Amino acid sequence: MNGETGTGTATPTETEHETGVGERATPSQSHVLETIVRRELQTVRRTRTFLLLGFALTVVLLGVAWVGGGVRGGYVPTAVDLLTPLELLVPIVAVAFGYRAVLADERRGELDVLRTYPVSSWQVVGGAYLGRAAGLVTAVAFPLVVVALAVALTGTEEVRIYATHAGADSPILFARVVVLTILFALVVLAVAIAISAVASTTRSALALAVVALVVVLVGADLAIVYGLASGFVGDSSLVYTLALSPISAYRGLVLETAVVVASGTGPRTAAPIASLLGLFLWAGVSLAVATVAVRRS
Amino acid sequence: MTEDSPILEAVDVDKSYGDVPVLDEVSVSISAGDVTALIGPNGSGKTTLLRALAGLHEPTAGEIRYLGPETARPIGYLPQHPAFRPGFTVRETLTFYASLVGDDEDAAMELLKRVGLEAAADRQVEALSGGMTRLLGVAQATVGDPPVVVLDEPGSGLDPGMSVHIYDVAADLADAGTAVLLSSHDLALVERGVDQVVLLDQGEIVQTGSPAAIRDALEADSLLEAYEASVTGEAGTVRVRGESA
Repeated sequence: MNGETGTGTATPTETEHETGVGERATPSQSHVLETIVRRELQTVRRTRTFLLLGFALTVVLLGVAWVGGGVRGGYVPTAVDLLTPLELLVPIVAVAFGYRAVLADERRGELDVLRTYPVSSWQVVGGAYLGRAAGLVTAVAFPLVVVALAVALTGTEEVRIYATHAGADSPILFARVVVLTILFALVVLAVAIAISAVASTTRSALALAVVALVVVLVGADLAIVYGLASGFVGDSSLVYTLALSPISAYRGLVLETAVVVASGTGPRTAAPIASLLGLFLWAGVSLAVATVAVRRS
Repeated sequence: MTEDSPILEAVDVDKSYGDVPVLDEVSVSISAGDVTALIGPNGSGKTTLLRALAGLHEPTAGEIRYLGPETARPIGYLPQHPAFRPGFTVRETLTFYASLVGDDEDAAMELLKRVGLEAAADRQVEALSGGMTRLLGVAQATVGDPPVVVLDEPGSGLDPGMSVHIYDVAADLADAGTAVLLSSHDLALVERGVDQVVLLDQGEIVQTGSPAAIRDALEADSLLEAYEASVTGEAGTVRVRGESA
């Protein structure tokens, strides 16, 4: 982006030149970022595919919760019913939101044009991420809120206790699931943005997206299982090792903060701080990779 | 129009893609207040040189020097194949770019008027013709009043009247002190509408000067004749650097 090119490339003002044009102040970085985020938000709002994805997720989650009987059982049984579908579907939706976000601009030549503006690589990536994230959060949170409303309206036992202590079903526990699911979606979106920045064609972006989904959905868990079976991962360090896999970190956090706490007892399923750190690390590294890729493209 | 002092310079610039040399010790100066045309056969390195001058890629060797004032956007750029994010109107698209330099929608509309595209302001960019897309690209290249505007084949795909209009826009920009650097295959328009010509052949500059000076130096009656006398390849054959038959 502008001002990031190195030796041998145009850089402003080596000597002052008297001319009637130019000489205007560079807008603030926050203004530039806000401008890019606003365009991403408009893109998300105008892309019917994203609307369809949110609608389809609503139908599937509501259907699973209804057929599984969780809706009539309460918030925590519903969360347990939805956990596996969420593990599978949320990454797919997140990847769909992000895998072409930067690539499409690159293919059109718009990244080249943006390089002639006072726009940094991190602003391109950050703007794309924040704008898409707003749409993704809506697409993921809306179905879960609908499901929560369904539980509230059809649950056979009225929930009177809005508490988080052991042995109680509560919408607060379900709200934790919603927050953790949003966090999980945002992490996978960061991976998708990295893919969109690294890939040079739509075909390679799709291939990388499939690889990323396999790694996130299956590969990381399999690696941990292999490590456990081979003795490389000890029993005592298992909950910390699970934090390295986004899906295991998410699953562990949901079980630890919303399910086990409601049942009042159970095995330790996650190290919450380590799991949160693991998720933030995945997101941070992915966005850093995307920024470097945009700078080098 | 010439103010003579260079605002953008390439000094001994080489550019290679892997083992394929594209530019070979190219040195050129672009002056504020001039329209400078880069001409040459297909594959001669025009786009590579324009992109290097616009700061879009690093030369393999040599240096690009921008000598103009410090400003939000020193160099504006029109790509050879401009394209814009679908789902947005012309007005929204240009307002987006204007906002990146702190301008507003009114400033964007002024630029649209300058290129004659204000009537299409509310049309979706994907519904624009190729020529209209290029006009929007020219407007985009001038967002933020950059001291240097680089236009890669701005007349390509435009009808003759619109091509003349683009050169008029370039001349107006130069009159206001902007250095306009464009590439073109339309030698008649170049001869008529630019101050300086840089003729590139096989990655090397073979002629520079005003159209009249180049004609005089080669004792040619037209720029086309001078062009044909300067380039080494046969007409109708694309020379590919790094390849030998």
